[in-house]
Amino acid sequence: MSGRDDRRVNDPLDLEALPGQARRVPDDDEESEGSEARQGGPSADPKGRGKDDSEKLDQYLLRRYHLHGDRKAREQLITMYLPLVRSLARRYASRGEHFDDLVQVGAIGLIKAIDRFDLDRGVELTTYATPNIVGEIKRYFRDKGWSVRVPRGLQELNIRLNKVIDELVPKLQRSPTINELAEAANATPEEVLEALETSQAYNSVSLQASPNGESGEEDAGLIDYLGGEEEAYDTMEDRTTLAPGFAKLDKRERYILHLRFFEGLTQSQIAERVGISQMHVSRLIRRSLEKLREEIGDLDNPLPPRSSDDAR
Amino acid sequence: MAERISLEVPATLSALSTVRMVLGGLGARLDFSLEDLDDLFLAMDGILQAALEDEELDDLRVLAIVDGASLRVSAGAFRSARLRDQVALTPGDCIDLCTLLRRLVDDVVVEEEEQDGSFSVVIVKNRSETAA
Repeated sequence: MSGRDDRRVNDPLDLEALPGQARRVPDDDEESEGSEARQGGPSADPKGRGKDDSEKLDQYLLRRYHLHGDRKAREQLITMYLPLVRSLARRYASRGEHFDDLVQVGAIGLIKAIDRFDLDRGVELTTYATPNIVGEIKRYFRDKGWSVRVPRGLQELNIRLNKVIDELVPKLQRSPTINELAEAANATPEEVLEALETSQAYNSVSLQASPNGESGEEDAGLIDYLGGEEEAYDTMEDRTTLAPGFAKLDKRERYILHLRFFEGLTQSQIAERVGISQMHVSRLIRRSLEKLREEIGDLDNPLPPRSSDDAR
Repeated sequence: MAERISLEVPATLSALSTVRMVLGGLGARLDFSLEDLDDLFLAMDGILQAALEDEELDDLRVLAIVDGASLRVSAGAFRSARLRDQVALTPGDCIDLCTLLRRLVDDVVVEEEEQDGSFSVVIVKNRSETAA
């Protein structure tokens, strides 16, 4: 008998052994309550479920997942702990990255924590998940973060500009000008330009990164971890996926480059289609081109047309 | 009357920031949209990075000419035959420098300097019609 089965026999929280409200599987409403209870940390429970009950529910779901392979229990845990992720992501929201992006990154840390949780160690999921979530967010900042020292004032203006751009693009139905940004952000055009230039520094770390520095699982697109994939990612023309260096890019990056350079869409149009901000599209395009440049040496190294017989 | 701004910077990647700032200021005066500017920056970065990877240069010479709603930017002086060929290519099925430039700016030409055999890459970016 495997260790897995041994643990099942001794599982004190097996479904059939759960008497009373505190131990049964919550219905949707209760699940929602559990989520709210974790706002600012899972131990708080204004809806009446005690800390012990929450811990028992966590343990129950973890056992369902790890011992019985119950994917729904895993999904439920993820949903329950997303407020914790948001709470932790909020601490880093003033550092120039979109809050939603940080939540997605933190969610990866949460999923890793749930998947790697060791039932025999006797710790709470909160205890184990928190450093995993924070670590994932910090790693994101380390990998994508400011490569040079940027004055706080410029960083703050950059953050403000991100918000202003998000507001102005749908309002104007086009990309705003520098003067429009300056007026909306209560800054001078020179300050806006300087702040935008700092966003180059924000990503320029990848210029010096080794070709392997951002590959593999750590660099897989968030879309690879969360939710269903955009179908269009897979339907783009082969020429994009076959071009040199493209293996280094995740699906979203390939898709965005395809839309920009082969379909001719503007950044704003891509942003609308992919569901991210125009600034984010701009950063992804720049980062993707840098990856390509690192991978194939430089961009003036053309691939023979796909139809060419002498393609090497 | 067209306004000419010339710039000479060290041939290093860090100097690209200076070039972007100057071009950004000129683009702002022309009411370029943020996307117009981003395209211009990507195009200039592509040219200069390709040049720096290909040959040893002491300085980069950048000449910007503001004319109506257009910004004409010349970068040189280069001698790399590979860079010259790339700029003159027809866009293909991959994202090479040629494809980048054709998509990002309105015109790309190579201007030869007959006196010393060097050349400059000239790009023209017009204010997009949807801009203010």
